[in-house]
Amino acid sequence: MDAVEKANYERQRRWAKEKKIGEGTYAVVYKGREVKTGRKIAIKKIKVGAMKDGMDMSAIREVKFLRELRHQNVIDLLDVFSSKTNLNLVLEWLETDLEMIIKDRSLVFLPADIKSWIAMTLRGLEFCHRNSILHRDLKPNNLLIAANGQLKIADFGLARDIADPGYKMTCQVITRWYRPPELLFGARYYSTAVDMWSVGCIFAELILRIPYLPGESDMDQLKTIFRALGTPTEEDWPCHTKLPDYVPVGQFPKPPMRDLFTAATADCLNLLSKFFLYEPRKRISARAALSHPYFFALPNPTHPSKLPKISTQSSTRTLEEVDGNVDLDLDSPGPSVKAPAPAKKAPAPVTKVSTPAVKAPTPPSKPSPPPVKPSPPAATAPVPRKLKRKLSSVSSEDGSYCRKLDFMKTGGTRT
Amino acid sequence: MPVPTEVSTETPESPKRGQTTLYEASTQFRNWRFSRSQLSKTRQSLNEAAVEAIRDTFEADSPGSSSDISFLNADEERLLVKLYITKIPQLCSHFGFPEEVEATATSYLKRFYLKNTVMDWHPKNVMLTALFLATKTANQPIPIDVYTSRIPKTSASDVLDLEFLVAQSLGFEFTVWHAYRALWGIWLDIQSLPDYPKDSIAEIYNSAKIHVRAARLTDAELIYTPSQIALAAFSLASPNIAALWTHAKSSDSILQIIEPLKQMILQDSRAPDVETVRDIDRRLKLCKNPEKVVGSKVYLAKKAEEDRIAAEKRRKKADEIRKAMEENDPFNEDTANKKTLDDAVNEALEDDD
Repeated sequence: MDAVEKANYERQRRWAKEKKIGEGTYAVVYKGREVKTGRKIAIKKIKVGAMKDGMDMSAIREVKFLRELRHQNVIDLLDVFSSKTNLNLVLEWLETDLEMIIKDRSLVFLPADIKSWIAMTLRGLEFCHRNSILHRDLKPNNLLIAANGQLKIADFGLARDIADPGYKMTCQVITRWYRPPELLFGARYYSTAVDMWSVGCIFAELILRIPYLPGESDMDQLKTIFRALGTPTEEDWPCHTKLPDYVPVGQFPKPPMRDLFTAATADCLNLLSKFFLYEPRKRISARAALSHPYFFALPNPTHPSKLPKISTQSSTRTLEEVDGNVDLDLDSPGPSVKAPAPAKKAPAPVTKVSTPAVKAPTPPSKPSPPPVKPSPPAATAPVPRKLKRKLSSVSSEDGSYCRKLDFMKTGGTRT
Repeated sequence: MPVPTEVSTETPESPKRGQTTLYEASTQFRNWRFSRSQLSKTRQSLNEAAVEAIRDTFEADSPGSSSDISFLNADEERLLVKLYITKIPQLCSHFGFPEEVEATATSYLKRFYLKNTVMDWHPKNVMLTALFLATKTANQPIPIDVYTSRIPKTSASDVLDLEFLVAQSLGFEFTVWHAYRALWGIWLDIQSLPDYPKDSIAEIYNSAKIHVRAARLTDAELIYTPSQIALAAFSLASPNIAALWTHAKSSDSILQIIEPLKQMILQDSRAPDVETVRDIDRRLKLCKNPEKVVGSKVYLAKKAEEDRIAAEKRRKKADEIRKAMEENDPFNEDTANKKTLDDAVNEALEDDD
């Protein structure tokens, strides 16, 4: 046996699979244990042999970034080993995710709870951004919750390093409801601000207990955004009409945010509105958000171990805890305090693990590399959109692989 | 990737207390940095272990057959790998890949041969796989058939068969911090100094870039940090500029540390003599591990052994499941829902992998 094979074998033996808990097109997830300590883990087995082009991009991305990132609020990749033609990722075991917590109608969220979840999200994301990594798929069911209440950013299958100036990135990322308008308008040069928009959507969803901007199609998504936040003017967002896929979607006035977020404090609304600034350069960064007065005002964020949990524990919260943390106004339950009346029966709580590939499909599915975007009406470009997409799909995801961009030209003018 | 401009002078053994830089948290810093002596020791012992294993394989096949084989030594292995490192820029310009792909593939190839011997895996194939893998990890994926159609006499399986082995040898640590990016950072930095030579700076940067590329042919990246290599390249292009910058950063002492690195870039960056390498390659044909030669007697024997173990495993599993099924039978009337034994075994084996 080669040294490399032997090392792999040693690794494999450290982890025991116990039970299959999910299966998707490209991965199977098992619950398992570390043999030596008995601690619970999840093993995500990716079938590589079946892939025409070898290891696929989302597996490569996930491994590449999780290998480097070590942070309390980022899922921990414990080990990687191979078995025959499968790639096995050993991940820390996480009980549930934020989506399931949001959907659990029996849980009451206090403002302090929301503050705690958003703070943890921002801490994890700030760490990613500090490492020049864009997540590009933030949404409640990619924010996993550990048994001790810590929130962990997971699913790095769409993540990438921030491209250098002048290098394109794909706009077909981020699940629709959480996708910022610049991507919907086809921006190919973007930055950490795309993730910040998603955080804003998650923040709003925690307050409202329903998705804030649930568009039915990419076009409808823009309409939904503008209806909620007003159609951007040239002043709000200079030059946005020049973006590649720009289409006018109608004029909507800007309603006061207070109308919807009735129970939110002024600090909370102020921070929330900064995630939704149209001009990506003005949108608040993760780092700046963490210094926002919202996080320094009372109530203090709930300790992770005391956050609402799925299952029977929800009723164990004592009254003093509630008293100390919230201005209770139970007669008119503000959206930040109590979930709105359930439209549908909430799904039964199921134990869940970080299984990006095997999750039950949520309505707006994650954009996959071959774009299936409906072609926009009235394309003004001389090259038909469909053709353009086709051409670009021959090359790489992020622009042509044989691009001739000169490093000097792009970097040279920067001082 | 960030543009690292901080210059670390630390050894891997003494990380700064309290605060770690992003670079120090990287897998590159933690797992792929060596001292010169560590590096040569690693290669030496790898080579010795390989020779011993292959000798045993020859002997097992026909006793006495290994006595007149001249195995490659560590330096010869390194020379052969180096030749294939020089092929990467050629292929990259053929495809029009950006520098990140080229630099990443080069690092992969070097790292691979810190865990493997050329007598097991020929660098020609490994180089093609490393480059293909780098296109994916550096965000420039291209379909395998497009890739192989533009490389003569190469099939998809030549590239893909080794992909897993390469990824494994890299420890699945795909992120590489490159000196050319550090160079860019320093260059931007220099332009913020009050008294830099505005007229010649672009030219100096270009010549420094050539030195950074030359450094890729050497062991520099396995010994020094990207920013040290970048600074050495600047220093080779213009000692004054380098001194200006280090002075502004209050780290003049770093210039001494990079002196041996500058020598390394100048001396070790020549492509190996083709005749010498051709001779090594000729000898490699005789001493390569027969277990890795498809169709050889030893290869077939190894395959047969693997098949036998797999069959044994399958039989055992089938027994277990049959037993379990029989035990459960009295309680399980619903035979229609019962899986056939074969399916159950397949599933169980699949889960074991």
